[in-house]
Amino acid sequence: MNRFAFYPGCVSKGSCPELYESVVQVMGLLDMEVEELTDVGCSGAGVLTSEVSDPINARTLAKAEQMGLALMTICSTCQGVIGAAALRLQDPEYRAFINKEYLAAEGLEYQGTTEVKHFLWVLVEDFGLDELKALVRRPLEGMGFSPFYGCYLRRPADVVGRRERRTYIEKITEVLGGTVVNISGKGKCCGFPSLTINEPNALAMTAKHTGEAKDNGADAMVTPCPLCHLELDGEQTQAAAAARRTIEMPILHLPQMVGLALGLDPKGLGLGRHFVSTAKIVAQLEPVEAAVTAT
Amino acid sequence: MELTFNVRRGDGRTKDATYQAYHVDVEPETSVFEALVKVREEQDGTLAFRGNCAVGFCGDCTMLVNGRQEVTCLTTVSKALKDDAIKIDPIPYAPTVKDVMYDAKRFIWDKVNSFSPGVVFNGAGWGGAQAVTDDDLRPVRRAMRCTMCGICDQGCTVIDVNLDFKGPAALTKVYRYVFDPRDGRAKERVVEAGETNGVWDCVHCWEASDHCPFDIDPTHRIMDLRDRSVRLGVKSGTGNRQAARHYNAFERSVENHGWLDERNVAIQSYGGLIKGGLKMMPTGLAALRRGKANLLPHPKRPGASAIKALFARYREVTRTER
Ligand code: SF4
Repeated sequence: MNRFAFYPGCVSKGSCPELYESVVQVMGLLDMEVEELTDVGCSGAGVLTSEVSDPINARTLAKAEQMGLALMTICSTCQGVIGAAALRLQDPEYRAFINKEYLAAEGLEYQGTTEVKHFLWVLVEDFGLDELKALVRRPLEGMGFSPFYGCYLRRPADVVGRRERRTYIEKITEVLGGTVVNISGKGKCCGFPSLTINEPNALAMTAKHTGEAKDNGADAMVTPCPLCHLELDGEQTQAAAAARRTIEMPILHLPQMVGLALGLDPKGLGLGRHFVSTAKIVAQLEPVEAAVTAT
Repeated sequence: MELTFNVRRGDGRTKDATYQAYHVDVEPETSVFEALVKVREEQDGTLAFRGNCAVGFCGDCTMLVNGRQEVTCLTTVSKALKDDAIKIDPIPYAPTVKDVMYDAKRFIWDKVNSFSPGVVFNGAGWGGAQAVTDDDLRPVRRAMRCTMCGICDQGCTVIDVNLDFKGPAALTKVYRYVFDPRDGRAKERVVEAGETNGVWDCVHCWEASDHCPFDIDPTHRIMDLRDRSVRLGVKSGTGNRQAARHYNAFERSVENHGWLDERNVAIQSYGGLIKGGLKMMPTGLAALRRGKANLLPHPKRPGASAIKALFARYREVTRTER
C-alpha cells in the first residue's frame, strides 16, 4: 500500500517542526502519499488515563478506517499509545461500549480494522529496503550512527508485533551506507517522561545514552521519536553539565537521516533547528551532483 | 552431560572479580540452581549464592546466567549452556555480599517494607457483611503470583540511574494491597506510593513487563496505581502533587485544544507561569532562536470541540461507574 492516513502528533506540529517537514519530503521522494488527519486529538501520550484516551484514539482509528487507509504515525509514543488502544479495541465488547458511549454521538463507528504503523515500519515493510537502497544519492559512508528507538517501538511485545521491528533502524542505516554504532541503552527510556517529575533521573538517562554514543565513536544518534529528540537534543547540554563532561552528540530524526542519504538539502530537513549543532555531520556529507527536490 | 561453570568469586562488588571454574556432570534437564548446589555440596563448601525453594516460588535464586537475568531454579543447564560453559555473575543493582550472593534486604525487602505490607482488614467478606467475589480478586491474584525475584527491577530504566527508586517489584506489592477489596488502607497506600521515588518516577518504558518471567505485567500494575491515584483525587505526597499538576495541565491542554501544547504543559508542570516560566526561559529562548518554537498562543485544531465532548462524556461515564 502506498497511501496512508497520516497522524503527525502534537510534537511534530509544535516543538519539532523539522520532523514534520522532513517526513513529508521523504514520503514525497518515495512516492508514498500521505493524507493528513487534521481534526483528531492527541493520543494521550500514556499520560492521560486510557479511560479517556481510548475514546479519543478510537475516533482517530475510525476516521482512518472511513478513508480505508492504514494510520501512519511518526512518534514512538503516539505509535505505542494508539497501537495499544487499537489492540484493546479488538475486543468486540469493549469496542461496542466505546462506539455506543463515545463515537455514536458524532455518527462514527469503529469496526476494528485500522492498522497502525510507524514511519519506521512503513519504510521497511511497505516501501522496502532494496527499493530504498536504489534511491540513495549520497551514501552516508564513513559516518557512524547510534540507533535510539524510544520505548514504545520496542515494548510491549504484543503491541509492537513482529520481533524484527526491533532492528529496523540498524537495517536502514546500513542500506543508506552508514555504520551502526551500538549503545547498550538503544531500547531504553530517554528520560523525557521524568523531566517534569524527577529531573535528575531524566538528565542521568540522557547523559548515559548520549555519552555512550560518543564514547563508542558515533557521529550522531538517530531516533524515530520526537519526544526522545526533545530530550536527547534539547536537554543534552544540561545533562552533560550534570554528568560533568562534554558530549555534543548531534541527534537526528529518522527521516532526516534518510533524507540526507536521498540527497535532500540539510537546511530543508531542518538540521539547523537542533539544540546540539549538526554542523559536523553536514560538513561530512558528499555533495550531490544535482539538487534533489521533494514533490 | 559434563559442563563447566565459571563463577564470579570474591567479596562485595568493589574488588576485582575473579572467575573460578567448576566441572560438573549433571543431566541436561538439571536446573542451574541444582547444579550449583551440587558444586557446593561436592566440591566447594565456600561458594556463596542465594536460593531457597528450588521450584520457582520464592524468587530468591536470581543470578546473571551468561549475562542474562534468570530465576536459576527454572533454567535448565542445557538451555543456559553457551560454548560448553555457563558464566555466573551476581545480579546488577544489588550489593553483592560474597561470590554471587546479593544483599536481598537492601535490594528488595527494605523497599517492600517501606510500604507496610500486609492487608489491613476493612471488614469486607467477614461475617457475611460483604462478599468478595472471584472477579474482585482476579487482578489481585495475578499480582499475588509475584515471586519477588526482582528481575523486573534489573530491567528497570530508572533504577539504572537511581538505586533509590522503589522499582516495579516493590510497587507491584503495593498494587496487590491497594486493589485487594479487603484492604482498608488503599488511599494511604496510594499517598505513600506517590512520594518521590514512587509510582510517578516510573517512566513507563515497559522494560519491567518485558523482563518479568511470570507474566505479572508489573509496568501495568504501576500504571493502575497511577490511575487509581488520579481517580481518588490524591494530591498529597511530593510526587503526587507534582504529577497532579502535570496531569491536570496535560488534560486541560488536550481537553481545550484537542492536542498538546508542550510548552505550556511544561511551564504549568514546573509550577505555574512565574516559577515554571523562569525555569523554561533558557530552553524557550534557545528554541525561539532556532525556529523550533514561536510565541503565538496555541491554536485549536479543527476537531477540538469533538474532543471536548469526549472528555465531557468520559466524566459522565466514570461518574456513574464510581
Ligand atoms: S513482577 Fe515479575 S519480575 Fe518483578 S519481582 Fe514479581 S515475578 Fe519477579
